[in-house]
Amino acid sequence: MTDLPTPPTVSAAGLTLHYGSTAALDDVSLRLGAGVTGLLGPNGAGKTTLLRVMATAVPADRGAFTVLGHDPSTTAGRQNVRRALGYLPQTPGFHPDFTAFAFVDYVAILKEMTDRAARHREVRRVLDAVDLGDVRGKRIRRLSGGMRQRVALAAALVGDPGFLVLDEPTVGLDPEQRMRFRELIATAGEGRTVLLSTHQTEDVAMLCHRVIVMAAGRVRFEGTPAELTARAEGRVWSSTERDPGARAGWRTGTGAFRNVGDPPEGATLVEPTLEDGYLLTLDATSAAASGVTS
Amino acid sequence: MSDTIGPSGLTWHVAEDDLRAYVRGELAPPMLWSADTHLVSCERCRAVLAEVSDPVSLDEGWERLDAELDAPRAGFLESLLVRCGVADHTARLLAATPVLRLSWLGAVVAVLVMTVAAAHTVPTMSSPSLFLALAPLLPLAGVALSYGPALDPTYEMAVVAPLHGFRLLLIRTVAVLAIGLGLNGVATLALPSYGLRALAWLLPALALTATGLALTPRLGPVLAPGLVAGVWVAVLVIAEARTEGTLAPYTVAGQGVAAVVAAFAIGLLYLGRDRFDSTSAHTPFAGFQDGGAA
Repeated sequence: MTDLPTPPTVSAAGLTLHYGSTAALDDVSLRLGAGVTGLLGPNGAGKTTLLRVMATAVPADRGAFTVLGHDPSTTAGRQNVRRALGYLPQTPGFHPDFTAFAFVDYVAILKEMTDRAARHREVRRVLDAVDLGDVRGKRIRRLSGGMRQRVALAAALVGDPGFLVLDEPTVGLDPEQRMRFRELIATAGEGRTVLLSTHQTEDVAMLCHRVIVMAAGRVRFEGTPAELTARAEGRVWSSTERDPGARAGWRTGTGAFRNVGDPPEGATLVEPTLEDGYLLTLDATSAAASGVTS
Repeated sequence: MSDTIGPSGLTWHVAEDDLRAYVRGELAPPMLWSADTHLVSCERCRAVLAEVSDPVSLDEGWERLDAELDAPRAGFLESLLVRCGVADHTARLLAATPVLRLSWLGAVVAVLVMTVAAAHTVPTMSSPSLFLALAPLLPLAGVALSYGPALDPTYEMAVVAPLHGFRLLLIRTVAVLAIGLGLNGVATLALPSYGLRALAWLLPALALTATGLALTPRLGPVLAPGLVAGVWVAVLVIAEARTEGTLAPYTVAGQGVAAVVAAFAIGLLYLGRDRFDSTSAHTPFAGFQDGGAA
């Protein structure tokens, strides 16, 4: 794996959090630099829990982390982290009777912006940044799902935070909205640290300069998208039938099968993708958990 | 403001002192709103404004005016609060309080009307027992429903905001208590035949509300007020079974106990104020989905 850009803006060591006897986070350590870092993992991997901990919404049982030099274990440090934070939760809640403007204004007030004129300028700026300037007076209940998601992103961007935490922001969006949202995240990632949780490897491939793969509460991979893709080098092959020896296989648009795993002798190897590297990383994780070597 | 009819047909003009305050950014809503709206259509006041302004502050004033005109009109509750002297940012925080909605207030009024009517239809009772039993529960329920993950769709965003959770809680508690106690007080006026005995709900109401809040960080936002309400009902049932005439909580000794409990709970609440600043890892967060607030 490549070294991180130095110095890291956000770092965590040994974060552990249990739900009863289940470890949602199990000794998670990571370092983030400026730019967008993707957090990939299946359902139940601990992504949302990690993001809630990093956003100071819930405290970890053990471990520590710092954000832009601030330690959230103290009251003053936690306030400083929150002042530097923009957070888009997995299911952002809205007051449906508020207009887009009033809702973002409300979040700006929660971010301690009490000067009315300055606050309204900032609200207008972030709504324009997510292309919602024209509908700022519309009630949120009348906005489409994609627009609501952009309202939530605008709320996260209020106050120009240095650390942006986005929990699966592209879920539920149609392809066009997803592309638009990716452009917004890419712009938001310029000059600030963004931690983006997602199910979609396309999000990571298009947006992220680094990627973290989580499974069962642990970090299974940390590096660049190219390094994750390289994990599948020589382990992806094409065939006319699904190869029973493959870890995973699926029919592609050409009608041929794409297989991932340990290729048989003479297999027609093809160029791996980020998704192949991700699947093999998860497969290695589950194999290790069940005591099988791959 | 001065009242004259000018060539534009306007019947009033902004007083020069107010224009000077406007330039300095010291004119507060709702006068600020009136001045903003008026300046758009009144050439004379704009000319006076130019005379009393230096160019830099005049630019700031126009920028502020631009931002004000851009902001959608505030809702009924918010406008009412501002006109009553509440700061505009506090008014917006209160407008986002789930329980300060007409549906809730309507339900409280309906319950009070029914209990007062019951007190009048059973004139042989020595005290309006049903009213005195119910009145303390209404502020307890109102405060419990004004802050927390179950009913506030933006709770997760509020928790990670720099505005301290305890401060937000207090702002909403004071507003809900003021309205709840006010409605109870109006209902008390409808029971003049009971004299001061009809006010015996006040101290139990404060004791129950403060105890419910003090226990919330330990027991959660549902169990804590539920438990407190259950204990109150149990105390009344036991008192009813053991006492002839005035029930124990409404005697002088009972009122003294309520005052002590209220003071102790307020102290406990203050000591545990930091516990309102994060949430449990197991907290389910409410969210707004299509069709209404979850």
